[in-house]
Parts: sequence; C-alpha cells; structure tokens
Amino acid sequence: MILDLHLHSELSDDSRAPVEAYLKLLQRKRAERPLDGIVLTEHRQFDPARDYRALEDRYGFRILTAAEVETDYGHVLVYGVNADIFARFDFSNVRLPAQELITEVARLGGIALPCHPGRPTVGLSAHYATKPPLEGVVAVEALNGGSRRGEDDRVQELIRRHGYHAFGGSDSHLVSFVGVCATEFDAEIRSTDDLVRELKGGRYRPVDFRARRVA
Amino acid sequence: MPFDVDPQLLGREFDRTEYGPVTADELIAYARAVGATHPCYLEPGPDLVAHPTFCVRYKSRKFYPDDLPTQIDFRRGFDAGKDIELGVPVRPGDTIHVSSAVHELYEKTGRSGAMAFIVIRFTMTNQRGETVALIDNRFLHKLGGGS
Amino acid sequence: MTRFDDVFEGDELPGREFLLEKDQVRDYARAAHQWAPRFTDDEGARREGLPGMITPGNMSMGLLATMLEAWAGPGSLRRLGTTFRGLLLPGRTIRLCGAVTQRHDETRSVEVDVWIENDEGERVVAGTATLRLR
Repeated sequence: MILDLHLHSELSDDSRAPVEAYLKLLQRKRAERPLDGIVLTEHRQFDPARDYRALEDRYGFRILTAAEVETDYGHVLVYGVNADIFARFDFSNVRLPAQELITEVARLGGIALPCHPGRPTVGLSAHYATKPPLEGVVAVEALNGGSRRGEDDRVQELIRRHGYHAFGGSDSHLVSFVGVCATEFDAEIRSTDDLVRELKGGRYRPVDFRARRVA
Repeated sequence: MPFDVDPQLLGREFDRTEYGPVTADELIAYARAVGATHPCYLEPGPDLVAHPTFCVRYKSRKFYPDDLPTQIDFRRGFDAGKDIELGVPVRPGDTIHVSSAVHELYEKTGRSGAMAFIVIRFTMTNQRGETVALIDNRFLHKLGGGS
Repeated sequence: MTRFDDVFEGDELPGREFLLEKDQVRDYARAAHQWAPRFTDDEGARREGLPGMITPGNMSMGLLATMLEAWAGPGSLRRLGTTFRGLLLPGRTIRLCGAVTQRHDETRSVEVDVWIENDEGERVVAGTATLRLR
C-alpha cells in the first residue's frame, strides 16, 4: 500500500490545496503516481473533528490525519494524534521539546518522526551537528518532495549512522505535487492505528515518483 | 522567547499614502519589463490599462507600525511572498490610495530558523473609491534583535 | 484566448522557458521603483551577502501573470498568490509552469497551480492563481 505521508491542505497557512483537488489529481495520475491514500499533516495544528469519510468513499483513497509540529530539533510529523497527545502538547508552540515529544507521543500511542531531516535549520542533520542525538527515533523522512539539491543526500548519512528506517512524503502545498514522493508499506493500512503500528514496525520504504511521466 | 501580539494591532490602519497620477509611460514600461505583449498593456490610448501586477510597485510610506513586538529584528528578514486580489484596472490619470494594516502576525520556523511571520495588507483604491487591488505582503524576520 | 468550456482539471498550461536576462531585471527594477543593488548589480548584491544579482519576487509574479494571461486572455487574472521559496538568479534559463487544478462552473473560473523552476529544476517560486475565463 502506498501513502503520501506528508502534505498540507488549505488548513495549513501556506497551502491553498483543497483535499478533494488532491484526490482528483491522484485519480488522473494513477499511472504515474499509484497511490492508495494520503496523510494530511497540517502545520502546527490538529483538528480531531475533521472527517474525510465522504471523500474516501467518493474517490476510493484512504485519508488519514496527522500534524507537522516545530521543535528544538526541527520539524516533526506526529501520527496517531489522540486526545491524550493533543492535551499533552500545544501544537502551535514552535519550540516543542523534541525528545519529550518523541518519548511521550510513543508512550501515549502515537509516533513522532522527524521530517525533511536534511533541510537547514529545521532538519535533524543540522541539529545533530551540535546536539546529542535523540533517543527513540524510529524513522526519518528520507525523501521529501520539497527538498532542494543535496538535502536528501545528507539524510542517507543520518540513516546509516543511526539505523533509522526511511519513509517518503511529498510535503505538497500545491495540488500538482501530491504524491511525488510517498511510502510503500508491506501491509494494508485502514486506520491511524494501523499506520502507527506499521511505522513502528519498519516494513516500508520511500518511493520516488518525481521522474515518472506516462505518455 | 515567543512574542505577544496585541490583538488591537491587527486590522488597524497604520499608514495611508497616495500616489499618482499614474502615467501611460509608467504603465507601458512596467508591462514591457514583465514581458507582456497584449496591446492593452503596451499601446497608448483610451484602452491602455495596467498589467495586473502593476500595483505591487506601490507601498506604504511607513512599512510597519511602531508597536510591533520588540523581539522582531526588522534588519534581518526577507520577502516570503504575496497574494494579490485584483479589482478594477488601473488607468492613466488614476490616483492610487494605499491603506496599510497588519493582517497577521505569528511565529514559525523555517530554513532560516525561528522567525516572525508578518502579513501587511495593502488596500488600494482609486480616486473614485473603487478597489484596484488587495495585496497581502508576507515577510519573515528573525527574532531576537528588536527594532 | 482560452475558453472555460475548453479547459479541464489537469490541463497543463503551455508555460514558457527562456533566459532571464540581467537587463530585463534591471528594466523591471526601474519600472517598479525597486532600484537597489541587490536587483541591479552583482557586486552590490554580493556586498549584501547574496551570491549575485537576484530577481525581485514581485517580478517573478509579473512574469507568471503574463504567462497566465497569454493563455487565458487579458483581464482574466483575478488573484495570484505566490511564495518565494528561493533566490531566482538572472542570467540563467527559467521555466514558468502552470496546471489547472479546479473548475468553478458558477463563476466560469479556474484555479491554477503556478511555479517557476530554475535551471536546476528547483521550484523557487510557487503559488496559485484564479482566472475568470470567457
């Protein structure tokens, strides 16, 4: 099963992409980007009331929700946000303590994974240059659709050194770039609980659809 | 340290500036510089109008109000982008009025570290009171230096 | 001039690829009252810590607007929003791109993703536009 684990809808401050428009594009581009679903990771917020089941039924894609938060070790994707996690952390805080976030989110039933780790300032690589490595990191985003030249290369060294699993996401803020990078899971994922379990288990890999263009 | 934003700051006009009258030469020079080819942007005459992004050349005389949080270092920052909503076209002879207000202000982190994200909204009207453009100017400034 | 009935979600705009000349950037800086070393002179820009002369973000919007209206017709552009993700250096080839993402029948308007790629294929400007078509 292939999911885009990192993208932003119009709920994020720097995106104007409606969720439905994302799904329509994925339908049109099935041959180039054979995704089964998306995980919406809005910036610094999480709304548990969001319900995309009608869109799932209409378009046949899995839609899950998560969040991208900002910490003292860069940006982190939080999957499996539940009431306990949401009560424990203020997602609008741009200085969340990363170690505490990773540890507590895991304890409370979710999983927090650093994203775009090769990016200056907001990526893990930059912080590991001057700070001790975080404990409990299971995986990092090895492929990010918004990365610039060289950023994803830095991640490979990080993965080798620390033994992290690798996943991929588009980091799309525009409809056109949904699914350009994604994650292929061995197992089927029907729910957020499934997603958290599989992310912890490591049976997945990043996939890159950026070069594909089907005539 | 995160900064506090006075809610009264948001939406309050802090500057009002007037420009013009707009000349045909200004409209044509701008249109040429952005590669426009349609005669309505390039040929003097009654049908000449401004290229749709012409209004970005106007700004408030005072770029920010005096009472922004002091943690924001205005000497260090960059233009993060713009949103332009277009109204009636600008024509030669128009006077353009620019009213400025802080539309949004919050903290975020990016490639350049912890930054203050500020949106200054320009409401631009002509001499007839018609809206010619609404422009949201987005800036990112470093935190910590104060102004 | 493109008609609403002939446009579909997913359509890619013709786009433009061209060498962005430094003189064109200087012409823009003059016409837009943005005459400053960073936009007009490589050495002056380097003194500000930049790699060389850069293109004003406003100019990138102007170029995108021109591309959009070349496709849809003058007066069709109703909204354009862009994020400046990186420096656009003149003296290099750039690509202006766009793709239709939504159609709104009630207003005969379309939403279009737009972006500018530098000569390394990186998206340095990205955003969306709303155009009202005939």
